[in-house]
Amino acid sequence: MRHFLTSAALVLTTALPAAAGDLLVTIAKPSNLYVFDAESRELKVDCDLGENIAPGVIAMSPDGSIAYALINRWQDVVGVNIETCEKVFEARQSKGDISRRSIASLAVSKDGSELYTVRNPVKLMQDRYEVMKPEFAVFDTDAGLQAEPKSVTPAPRRITVMGTDRKGAVYAAGHEIYRIDPATGEFEVAIANASWDRPTYSPPDVLAFWPIGSQNDEFMLMYTAAKFTDETQAELADFVWGYQSVDLTSGETKIADFASLEVLMFSGVRSATDPKYLYGVYTQLSKHDVESAELIKRVDLPHTYYVINVSSDGSEIYVAGTNEDIGIYDSETLERIGEIIVPSGGDMSTSTLQVVPQG
Amino acid sequence: MKPLNQKAERVQRAAAEDKMDEVRAMQTVTAGCATTFDPGWEVDPFGGVAALCQPMEADLYGCSDPCWWPAQVPDTMVNHQKWDENAPNGAKDWRNLSAGYPDDAET
Repeated sequence: MRHFLTSAALVLTTALPAAAGDLLVTIAKPSNLYVFDAESRELKVDCDLGENIAPGVIAMSPDGSIAYALINRWQDVVGVNIETCEKVFEARQSKGDISRRSIASLAVSKDGSELYTVRNPVKLMQDRYEVMKPEFAVFDTDAGLQAEPKSVTPAPRRITVMGTDRKGAVYAAGHEIYRIDPATGEFEVAIANASWDRPTYSPPDVLAFWPIGSQNDEFMLMYTAAKFTDETQAELADFVWGYQSVDLTSGETKIADFASLEVLMFSGVRSATDPKYLYGVYTQLSKHDVESAELIKRVDLPHTYYVINVSSDGSEIYVAGTNEDIGIYDSETLERIGEIIVPSGGDMSTSTLQVVPQG
Repeated sequence: MKPLNQKAERVQRAAAEDKMDEVRAMQTVTAGCATTFDPGWEVDPFGGVAALCQPMEADLYGCSDPCWWPAQVPDTMVNHQKWDENAPNGAKDWRNLSAGYPDDAET
């Protein structure tokens, strides 16, 4: 069902942005996929998905017209036209006594023709569960409403978020950042993570749940690690934040520390307009300069937010997830300049917030 | 060292079978779930509680939807899928949430 809502009562606005022209796409309880106009802060489209929306992980088609969402308790993928709410893709992954759940892994090829996920099958038997091998599944996005994968190949365990580059490779975060050839299902390590060769560091911790790097054309994750004074790892030097990134045009990778671990951050994002700045969110919103490893500014937020994104022109930061509001911040001052309350009033929980450029 | 539960016993077995590469320790204290009935982690990575989710309800569905609080809330992924159906907003509707019992299981 599609609803057009024009009531300003649903949208609290304190200032309008100078530019942007973006759409904000997210999912909230009980079953809604929302599209907001970032400039006017107004609701454009409300799609009732009609079922449980957890975890609400969203991957957009490259043209920004279709939101692919992982829903129904990690099991199913639906593709929804964000203008009409028409469901154009549906893959029900659990079948019979085999449950298949994808832990936030969802990506669409840059030509829009293929959708990728790593799913974790479990056979549910009378007296026990049998954990089966994880699968890298490739779907044609035009496979319709009873989509089945056109290929299924073995995958490593513990895969979460995924991304795609312009050369056709798929990236997946697990204990390593993997590069996958979707034609063969072959995995290779793009960025060493659990097995990184940094003898003065502990292995990293990475929380990889929100596929949000599209604004800077990157697959970017943040890590924390203990850093020691030398290779004996006897004396602690610092706990650090770092980032690891894959350039989705060139395929180049980078890994670097940028700050001491002073606050938690659940997700981070960089703007294409000035990628030396990394914005991270949790109970604070922080702006870091990753080149100088300087903390530019940090502000407390009204409550914890899990997911962050940035406008196309780099002027606004959006924080979302957890509760029912999207907080809007000036990227220079980190001043809260607006907010959008989701009309259902339901929590966004772990949902993604995608920014879709227009025009 | 003697294992106290099935998981610890499996870890010991993995060591005996040279499969420790498949067993990964959690690196920091925040990676572990609390064993108390206070939702969320018991302590933050700094040993306090200031860096836990604020307010606690902001974390309710972020953790129960992915079955992250197995000790504190019913299993909403498989057995108690309707536990939160009358409470779409954790901070405002938490009074509508109730305890789950084995007889309530939906599967």
